[in-house]
Amino acid sequence: MKRILAIVGRDITSGKRDFIYAYIMIVPFVMALVLKAIIPGVDSTTINIAVLDTLEPQLIEYLDEFAKVKEFETVQDIRVRVSKTDDYLGLVKKDDKYNIISQNNESEGSYDFLELIVNSYQKDLYIFPIDIEITDSGWKLHPLKQQGANFLIIFTTVFGGMLILLSLVEEKMSNTLSAINVSPASKFEFIIGKSILGLTIPIVGIFGILLIIGFEGINYLMVLVVSISLSFISMIIGFVIGIMNDEPISAIASMKMIFIPVMGSVFGAMYLSEKLMPFLYWSPFYWAYEAMNSIILNEATWPMIFKNCSIIIFITVLVFILLKNRIKRGLN
Amino acid sequence: MIKVKGLYHSYSNDDKYAVKDANFEIKKGEVFGFLGPSGAGKSTTQGVLTGLLPIQKGEVTIAGYDIRNPKKEMFNLIGVSFEQSNVYDKLTAYENLNFYRKLFDVKTRKPKELLELVGLDHVANKKAGEFSKGMKHRLTFIRSMINNPIIWFLDEPTTGLDPAIASEIKEIIKKEKEKGVTIFLTTHNMYVADELCDRIAFIIDGEIKLIDSPRNLKLKYGKKLVEVEHFENDILKKESLSLIEPKDKARLNDIITAGNIEIMHTKEATLEEIFIKVTGKELK
Repeated sequence: MKRILAIVGRDITSGKRDFIYAYIMIVPFVMALVLKAIIPGVDSTTINIAVLDTLEPQLIEYLDEFAKVKEFETVQDIRVRVSKTDDYLGLVKKDDKYNIISQNNESEGSYDFLELIVNSYQKDLYIFPIDIEITDSGWKLHPLKQQGANFLIIFTTVFGGMLILLSLVEEKMSNTLSAINVSPASKFEFIIGKSILGLTIPIVGIFGILLIIGFEGINYLMVLVVSISLSFISMIIGFVIGIMNDEPISAIASMKMIFIPVMGSVFGAMYLSEKLMPFLYWSPFYWAYEAMNSIILNEATWPMIFKNCSIIIFITVLVFILLKNRIKRGLN
Repeated sequence: MIKVKGLYHSYSNDDKYAVKDANFEIKKGEVFGFLGPSGAGKSTTQGVLTGLLPIQKGEVTIAGYDIRNPKKEMFNLIGVSFEQSNVYDKLTAYENLNFYRKLFDVKTRKPKELLELVGLDHVANKKAGEFSKGMKHRLTFIRSMINNPIIWFLDEPTTGLDPAIASEIKEIIKKEKEKGVTIFLTTHNMYVADELCDRIAFIIDGEIKLIDSPRNLKLKYGKKLVEVEHFENDILKKESLSLIEPKDKARLNDIITAGNIEIMHTKEATLEEIFIKVTGKELK
C-alpha cells in the first residue's frame, strides 16, 4: 500500500507541473458549464411570472402550481425583469383587472397559457379545466441536457486513460521504469498506483458534470458503479497506448482513436433504429450509455445496472486478456 | 554474494547471443569489474543480474535469491546505478530521492544526506529537468544508494563526469567497499577498473576471456622494463632498459650512479594493453 501511495503521490506531484494534466482535469467541468449555459435557453418550457408582492396570496399560490413565480415591489421592477432576454411574463392587477406584461419575444403559447391560468382562477376553477401534459416528441428531458450530459460522462472516462498514458510516457521518456523495476515495487503495485488517478479523476469529473448541469435527484451510487465499470476499459487502453509510445504528442494522437468507438457507440445508440442496436453490443461505451441514460431519466433499476456493468466488465476482461502480455512486456 | 553459471542471453531469442556462457562468482565485499568495449555484453549481463532482462539460459543467484523468480526481499538488498541517467525531470532532486525511498521496506538513507555526498544539496529543490548531464548522473548514482544496498550494481559510474566529480564518485565507491558492500562494476574505463576493482573480467563479444586481479594481470602481462630520461653530455636521452638482461641492468646502474636522471619509471603494462593482448581488440 505504501508503494502504491508513493506512485500516486509522484503522479500527482508531476501532474501539478504539467498543463496537459490540468487541461484534462478542467475540460469536463468547462464543457458542463458550456452545456449548462446552453440548456436554459432551450429548456425554458416552464413559464416564469413576475408579480407584485401586493398581489393576493391565493393567486400567487395558484400561479405557483403551474409556473415559477417571483415577487417584485413595483411595476417598474416587473417591467425591467420582463425586458431581459429570457422568457418572463409580468402579471399586475389594475382596477380588478389583470394585465399581462410581455416583451413579445416569449415562447409561443406562454402568453395564452398565463391568460388561461388567470381566467381559470378568476372563474374560481381551482381545478384546472383540462389536463395538460407537455411532451416534446418523447423526450422526458431536454435532449441537449439528456444526451449532452450522457455523452460528456462517457467522454470523461476516456480522460482517465489519457492520464495513465501520459504518466507512462513520462516514465518511458526518462527511462525511470528501469529504476522502478529494480526496486521492491511489483508490477501489480505499479499498475494499481498508475491506475488510481485514472479512475478517480474521471469520477470526480462525472459527478461534477452531473451537479453542474443539474441532476440532483438521480441515483449517484448507480452513477458511481457505471463510471467505475467503464473506466477500466479506458485504463487498459491508456496502458497499452502508453507503453507503445515514447512521447506525449504521438500518445495523445493514438488515444484520440478511442474517440471513434466512443462517439460511434453514443451516436449509434441515439440515432440507430432498435433493430440495428445489436451492431453496438460489442462496445462497452454503448452499454454505459444505455445505463447512464436510464439513471439520468430516473428509470434505472439495480438489475439493469448490474446487467450492463457485467457486460462492460466482461468485454473489458476479454480486452485485458488479449493485451495482457503486451502490457507486461511494455512495462519491462 | 553473486553466482553466475552458464549464463546466455539473446535479444532475438536465437543463437545470436549478447552474452555467452558467462561463469563467475563474486564474494562478499569484493569489487568485481566487468571491462569491455561498448557492445561487449557488460550491460546485458548487469541487466540479467538485476532482473531487468529475463534469464533465458543458465543460473544466477543474487544474495542467495534465484534471479529466475526475483523476490521483493532481493530488491531491498540491491542498488542499481544506470549508465544513462534516469530520473523524473518534473520532480526536484529531493522529490526524486524521496519518492524512490518509499518503494523500499528497509531502512533508507536521508535524501539530504545523499545530496550532500555528491554536492547536489544546493539544488535539492530544483527540478531534475533543469540539471546538467553530470548532475543528473550524480542523482542517478546516489539514488542507487538510498536503501543501503549490500550488493551494488554500477554501470559506468564515472562516464561523462568531469575529473573532480569522477574522483568524488570513486571515493564514495571505495568507502562503500570498506563497509563491506559487494560491487559489480561495468566500465570501459581501464583506469577506473584498475583503481577500484579487486578482480576484473575481460568481456568481448559476449564472452568472458579472462578473470583476475589487476595486479596479477600486470605481473603476468607487463614487461620488466624501466624507462629513463637522463642528461648525458648536456643532451637529454631517453632509454628503455630491461630489468632482466645483465647488459641493461649494468647500464641502468651507470645512469643512476651518474645522477643526471630527469624521469624514471617501471614500464608495467596498462590494463588496456593487457586487454588488447588478451582479446585482440581495443577498449572503446
